[in-house]
Amino acid sequence: MGGKCPHRSVKKRRYSHKTARRTKFLVKGDDMVYDELKKPDEERKALPLDEDLPGMGQYYCLHCDRYFPNVAVRDDHFKTKRHKKRVKQMMGPAPHTQLDAELAAGMGMPDNGPKLMSI
Amino acid sequence: MRLEKCWFCSSTVYPGHGIQFVRNDAKIFRFCRSKCHKNFKMKRNPRKVKWTKAYRRLHGKDMTQDSTFEFERKRNRPERYDRNLAEDVLKAIPKIDKIRVSREEKHHKNRMKGNKAKLLKEAVKELEQGISLVKAPSVLEKDPSLTLPKIKVQVSQQQAEENHPMEE
Repeated sequence: MGGKCPHRSVKKRRYSHKTARRTKFLVKGDDMVYDELKKPDEERKALPLDEDLPGMGQYYCLHCDRYFPNVAVRDDHFKTKRHKKRVKQMMGPAPHTQLDAELAAGMGMPDNGPKLMSI
Repeated sequence: MRLEKCWFCSSTVYPGHGIQFVRNDAKIFRFCRSKCHKNFKMKRNPRKVKWTKAYRRLHGKDMTQDSTFEFERKRNRPERYDRNLAEDVLKAIPKIDKIRVSREEKHHKNRMKGNKAKLLKEAVKELEQGISLVKAPSVLEKDPSLTLPKIKVQVSQQQAEENHPMEE
């Protein structure tokens, strides 16, 4: 992500990070992606056709929550450092949740009472 | 009145305090103050930020397994009001709190056990290596009164005092 600012001489600073910042809250949270990845393959729905998305929403990276215009670009993305980092992160322990926060605060597991209905 | 816990730092959020963020999948994230909210917006992982409870738990800084943690729970069921029970609970709260505090102190003490010996050892090593900065080696050879143990006690005490705030 990020367009070019050609006037900067340092390569790292040549890229604008405006778009990344703008779309920060449009991407899925870590825990959502993690849950999605945990699901077995059968449960995942086929990608619906959406003309607003790049490539009609057919070329999708599950780990990074990104759409690509065609297969070649997507496969290029799979080779990037950012993607590989993300894959590694998702292979690791589950993301922090509210339950983790409560356990860390010295609370026990939530008490939901006895089950009202059997089965 | 329900006291919630902050998503980021696990501190208690009292009614009227902090801010909450509801994501478009209806998940609620509560924050005790803007510091925690900002850290969340920066997508920081609470397990990697040293001042959060999650970090301290994970790295053995705080007590993890204890029976006193069983009392405070999120109870997702209605409780019928009982005057006697409420009285008993109010009586039990300070007792349990006392026990928890003492156990936490014990845990902290246990954790800091080897620290004093380690500091002393480091101070001795520094003294041995750096004595030439105070007294030239030739002077030290001439004057036998400047033996190591005599100075060692003084400097190690100073060292211990200097390093005291670091222990916490």
